[in-house]
Amino acid sequence: MSAEPVLTRRVFFREAICLAVRETLDAEPNAIVMGQDVGAFGGSYKEFYGLFERFGPARVRDTPVAEAAMVGLGVGAAAAGLRTLVSITYMDFVLLALDPLVNYAAKARFKTGGQIRVPMVVKLTAGAKGQGVAHSQSLESWLMSVPGLRVVAPSNVADAYGLMRSALQADGPVVYVDHKRLFPTSGPLNASGHEVPFGLAAVSRPGRHATIVTHSYMVCVALAACDQLAVSGIDCEVIDLRSLAPLDLATVCTSVSKTGALLTLEEGQVVCGIGAEIAYQVQARLGPVRVSRLGAVPAPVSSNPVLEAASLPDAARVADAVRRLLTEG
Amino acid sequence: MTASDDIDALAAMILARELESALSTRADCGFQLLSSGQEAVAVGVAAALLAQDQLLCSGRSIAPALARGLDPGRVMAELIGRASGPCLGRGGRGHLSQPSAGFFGAHAVVAGNLSIAAGVALALQARRDRSIAVCLFGDGACGAGALHETMNIAALWQLPLLLVCDNNLYSVSTPRAAALAPQRLSDLAAPFGIEACTVDGMDVRVVREAAVALTDYVRNGGGPAFLECISRRFASHSTSARETRGQQELAADRELDPITRLENALLSEGALSAQTAQALREQVRARVMAACAFAEASPLPVPDQAFADVG
Amino acid sequence: MLYRLLLPGPIVDLSEVRVLEWHGAPGTQFNPGDLVVELDTHKAVVEMRASSKTVLRKILIEAGEWQRVGEPLAIVSDSADEPLPERAEDLPQSSATYEMV
Repeated sequence: MSAEPVLTRRVFFREAICLAVRETLDAEPNAIVMGQDVGAFGGSYKEFYGLFERFGPARVRDTPVAEAAMVGLGVGAAAAGLRTLVSITYMDFVLLALDPLVNYAAKARFKTGGQIRVPMVVKLTAGAKGQGVAHSQSLESWLMSVPGLRVVAPSNVADAYGLMRSALQADGPVVYVDHKRLFPTSGPLNASGHEVPFGLAAVSRPGRHATIVTHSYMVCVALAACDQLAVSGIDCEVIDLRSLAPLDLATVCTSVSKTGALLTLEEGQVVCGIGAEIAYQVQARLGPVRVSRLGAVPAPVSSNPVLEAASLPDAARVADAVRRLLTEG
Repeated sequence: MTASDDIDALAAMILARELESALSTRADCGFQLLSSGQEAVAVGVAAALLAQDQLLCSGRSIAPALARGLDPGRVMAELIGRASGPCLGRGGRGHLSQPSAGFFGAHAVVAGNLSIAAGVALALQARRDRSIAVCLFGDGACGAGALHETMNIAALWQLPLLLVCDNNLYSVSTPRAAALAPQRLSDLAAPFGIEACTVDGMDVRVVREAAVALTDYVRNGGGPAFLECISRRFASHSTSARETRGQQELAADRELDPITRLENALLSEGALSAQTAQALREQVRARVMAACAFAEASPLPVPDQAFADVG
Repeated sequence: MLYRLLLPGPIVDLSEVRVLEWHGAPGTQFNPGDLVVELDTHKAVVEMRASSKTVLRKILIEAGEWQRVGEPLAIVSDSADEPLPERAEDLPQSSATYEMV
C-alpha cells in the first residue's frame, strides 16, 4: 500500500479521508486521532493508513473498546485545547457515546456562556453490508435534531475529503458519517485544501421530472435508478445533501420548484427520518407538492443477504418509487 | 501547611456554608444541591491546586467553585440565573464553570464529567508544565461504567488526573451498601494499578494533606490517582429530595461539622482567638451579603439568549 | 504460450485496483513464487506471484494507474522469444497466484 496518500487524480475513498486528516495533523500540532485500531493497523477501513508512522503514538492513539470514554476524552481534550478526531468503526456504537456527545459536547458552548468550545470530529461508518442487526444502522436522523451538533455525510471521494477538511476546521462538534459501501469506491480528487462548507448540498445529476434528495451511499443508488428511469424517458434530478445539520433547504427547494415532485431517499428509517424533515420544510416554503419518502423497511437489518437486500432501498425500488410519485402524485 | 493556610481553609469553608445558607432562604433559590457538611472535601482538595490546574465537579458545585476562588458574587449570580454569572446565567449550579480561573466546572450528569476530565488531563499532559486535572464526584457515580472506562484509559495513558470521590454515604436515598458492592470505594482503583487512598472527609487538614500528596504524585508523572473522602451531607440530596435519614443520624453527622472541628482545633492551638474567629465570621458574612447584593442587582438574561452560542 | 496477467474476478468486494509497483520490467523472468506486481485496493495490498516460470513481456497498466478486476494488467509468456500478439483479449488467463496482505 502506498505509504504516502499522494494527491493523485484518482484515489480510493479511504485515501481522501486520510489525506484530509494528514493535512490537519501536519498543520495543527494540537490535533490528534483516537479510536480502535487507528494506529499501526491503519484504521478499520485503512482510512488512517500511514498516519501512525508519520505522527507517532501520542497523536494517533489506539483506544480500548470503550466508546463512551473515547468520545468523552475527545470532548474533554478538545475543550481544553486539542483538536480531536474520534473514530468509531460502526455508527451503531455511537449509541454508547451519546452522553458525552449530546449531553456535553453539543451543550458545552451554550451552557458555559461561550467559555468552552469543543472542536471535535466524531467519525462514524454507517450502513448495511452483511454484518447484521447491530452493525448496519444508519442513525443520522437521530443526531440531526441536536442543537449544537453538525452532521455531514459525503457520498464521493471529493466530498469525503472536502467535508473532513471542513469538519476538522470547525469550532464545535461535528459528526462525520461515511458508509461501508463507499470504501470500495474511487474517484477524482482534484484540489488540495478545498473544503465543502456546512449547509451546502450539491446537484449530483440535473433533471426536470422529479427531485430525489438523498445522501451518502444512497446517492449511488439514486444515480443507478436514474439510469433505469432515463430508459423510459423519466429525467430525475438528484440532490446530494452532504450536510444534514444544517440542511440546505434552499438547494432542495430550487430543485423541487422546477420539478414539482420530491422523493426523499435514505438508508435509515423514514419514521422521524431525514425525509420527514425535508418533506415538511419544503412544503412549508413552497406549499403542497407531490412528495413521498423511501427508506429502510421498519425492521432490523439482518446479515442474511436475502433479508438485507429485502430491507433496503435499491435502484429498482427507487425507480419504482419515482414512477409511483409521478403517476399517483 | 501554615496557620495562615488553616485560617484560609476555615474562611473558605465558612464562605461556602454561609453562601448556601443565604441561597437556600431565597424565594428564587431554584433547584440546588448543597455542599453543606462536605465543605472540607472541596476546600481541602482546592488547596492543593495550582493556578494552571483544572478542577471539574459534579452537580454539587457550589463549594468546589468557591473553594477554587471564583468570585462569590458571580457564583451567586449564576446560581440565581443572572446574566453576570460566569455562564451568563445559562448553566446554573449544574454547569457552573470558569475555565480561565482553573474551574473547568460542573456537569450535572452523574459520572458524566469523568471522561471529560480525563480528556482535559490529556490536553494538559501535552503542555508538559505539570498541570493536572482533578475531578470531584460522589459515591453515586461509582457504579457507572464511565468511572471504570475512565480509570482504565487514565491508567493506560498515565494521564495527569486525580479522581476525588466525595463519598457522603448516600446517593439520594440509597445508602452506599445498597448501591455498591465494594465498601471502600478507593478499592475501585486497585484493578487499574491506580494509586489510591481513603481519608476522613470531615477534616480539612486530612483532606488537604492527602490531596497535596496525591497531586504531587500525579504532577510528577506518577499517573492517575484516586482519593476517597468520607463525608456527610447535612441537607437532603437536593432541594427537591426529601430527607430520608432519621434525626439521630443527622445529629450525629452534625457532630462532625468540619467548620466546628477546624475552628476548635485552631482555638485550642492558639492560632485563633474567640475574637478573631468572630471577626472572621463577620468578614465572611459581609462577603456573602455583598455577593447577594451583586447578584440581585444583576439583570436576568434577555430571552434571545435562549438560542445564543448554540454552536 | 502467451497469457494475460490479471487479478481474476469476481472477488468479493473488489472491483478495481491501482498498480502499486511492478517488480520487474519487460524481459524479466520470474520463477515460481516470485513477486511480479503489487496492487493497491481499497482495503489491502494484493501481491501477485508467478506460479510457474514466467517472463514479463508487456506492461499494460503502469504504476499509479487503475484497472478493473478481471481486466489485463500485462502480457506474460512462458519464454522470452514468443512474438507479441496484436490484441491481449484473445490470450488465455495467466495462472499467477495472488494474496491479500
